[in-house]
Amino acid sequence: VRRVAPAALVVVLLALAVYPTFGTGYGLMSVLQVFMWIALAGSWNLISGLTGYVSFGHVAFFGAGAYTAGILIASSGWSWPLAALAGGGAAGVLALGIGWPCLRLKGPYFAIAMLGLNEVLRALVSYFERLTGGGNGLSMPTLDATVPIYYAMGLTAVIVTLAARLIIGSRFGLRLMTIREDEMAAEAMGIHTFRHKLLAFLLSAIGPGIAGALTARDQGYIEPLSVFPLATTITMIVMTLFGGKGTVWGPVLGAVVLFVAQEMVWARYPYIHPLLFGAIIVAVVLAMPRGVLGLLQTKYRLPRTI
Amino acid sequence: MNVVITPAMIGQVIISGILSGVLYAMVALGLALIFGVMRIINVAHGPLLMLGAYTTFFLYSTFGLNPYLTVPISMAVLFVVGLALERTLVFRVIDAPELSSLLLTFGISIALVNAAQLAFTSDLRAVEYLTGSWGIGPFAFSKSRVVAFVFAAGLTAGAFLFLTYTRLGKAVRATSQSREVAMVCGIDVGAFHRLTFGLASALAAAGGALIAVIVAIQPEMGQIWTFKSFLVIVLGGAGNYPGALLGGMLLGLVEQLASLFLTTQLSEVVAYVLLVLVLLVRPTGLLGGRQT
Repeated sequence: VRRVAPAALVVVLLALAVYPTFGTGYGLMSVLQVFMWIALAGSWNLISGLTGYVSFGHVAFFGAGAYTAGILIASSGWSWPLAALAGGGAAGVLALGIGWPCLRLKGPYFAIAMLGLNEVLRALVSYFERLTGGGNGLSMPTLDATVPIYYAMGLTAVIVTLAARLIIGSRFGLRLMTIREDEMAAEAMGIHTFRHKLLAFLLSAIGPGIAGALTARDQGYIEPLSVFPLATTITMIVMTLFGGKGTVWGPVLGAVVLFVAQEMVWARYPYIHPLLFGAIIVAVVLAMPRGVLGLLQTKYRLPRTI
Repeated sequence: MNVVITPAMIGQVIISGILSGVLYAMVALGLALIFGVMRIINVAHGPLLMLGAYTTFFLYSTFGLNPYLTVPISMAVLFVVGLALERTLVFRVIDAPELSSLLLTFGISIALVNAAQLAFTSDLRAVEYLTGSWGIGPFAFSKSRVVAFVFAAGLTAGAFLFLTYTRLGKAVRATSQSREVAMVCGIDVGAFHRLTFGLASALAAAGGALIAVIVAIQPEMGQIWTFKSFLVIVLGGAGNYPGALLGGMLLGLVEQLASLFLTTQLSEVVAYVLLVLVLLVRPTGLLGGRQT
């Protein structure tokens, strides 16, 4: 398996790279969405999977990126690749602002602060109408950039996954996981836990910021309800938990499997599907805390950095 | 916005703040109990409140019961729901890492909200029972809020009396101080976890039942209540039950002041800023409390 896997990975990436030359519009849109979910789930994994600090409001970074890019494109005429980077930057700044007070403390403070962040940003965006268009939304000039955005989103997904691979294989990653297993012990060993948590949180915010910005450009129109849905946070959590939190490929696996399942099966029962997500979270936490990949790791003695 | 703010308006704000503050305190007390006894933040606390609100709504609309008579019924129903949730799911994560209990109760919360959407639809429902307000001097007292205040004050006082003077209440506090020592003293800790979860859900249900008479309800109403209850606990100091009363009042006042000086739209933003400030300056709460 170890010799085949890298080759298979290259083949898959090449296939995805040439896909836009022959793919259908629907196919392209679907793969783009899978890229987005990989970037989102992979980013959530960086903070919550590695340090054990649960972020219940990661969609806030997605929305912050979307609005930053939307405003820059619509009012200041920025090109979308620059605006996307700005979106990632804005999300990072937001993460520092929230992480500074909340991550200094141990315990559930961070999780609940993130639970409220989403609502707060939505209220702010609705309030500052002149800048954001308020509830009427924000329209960007029309531009057909689906194919370049496909590549940009794909690149984002690859970078997030690569970052996870590098972090998990590094001493920095080991320190994060030490914090997850026993924060007191980590401190006793001399790890500056606050700095480590804050850096992990910053890294986990940039990907969703960029993904939000790219999605905003792709759709050309954003409004508070469309870029701050709680459902997006739920979906990235479910994908990561299902695939295996704290692993490199878990979020990728979860994103692909659950996206396909969603499109194939659950799209026909739109009301059951969020209920099912709640049930999956409960079931995975109780019965399979390390996810599918965690099970495989134990069963087949796969390396930890998978 | 050049509105002249008169002393009467400030007085009105203080009255409204106290009226809603006690309601906040009661709901938050439930969350604080679970946190104290079980070391779990129950993310599903708000959705349990929502179920309490719907119980009252249906008893009122189907059987024509006086909504205030349904408060004990809602509490009893949710006591059983809470007990069942603890017995089947929550007890499994009591000693697990925080991540597990947060995610588990988050999953339960999503399932409850979406099940409610399936069962009750997302339509806004209102219990139109007690409308209008009483005028005393320059102040207006919204009738439904005053009654809610009386109920919440009574139930909160009852909860405190229970915790302070009864053997059961003392056992709950003992479990919250040290589970091991409580166990050594012969307290069946597992049973007290169930009891606590049931009581906390009943307090949430009372909140929901009273809120249903004040504003229109819908399945997603609960989430913000988890957040607000947590904020109240943080303000008062985690592990400090009387602190919840202070925290509730403070949140009520701050929200009302925000809607007077800014706009109602931003009252949640102000509450959030308050949370971040307290975490920065005094994370153990205004009254101090056990560092966890």
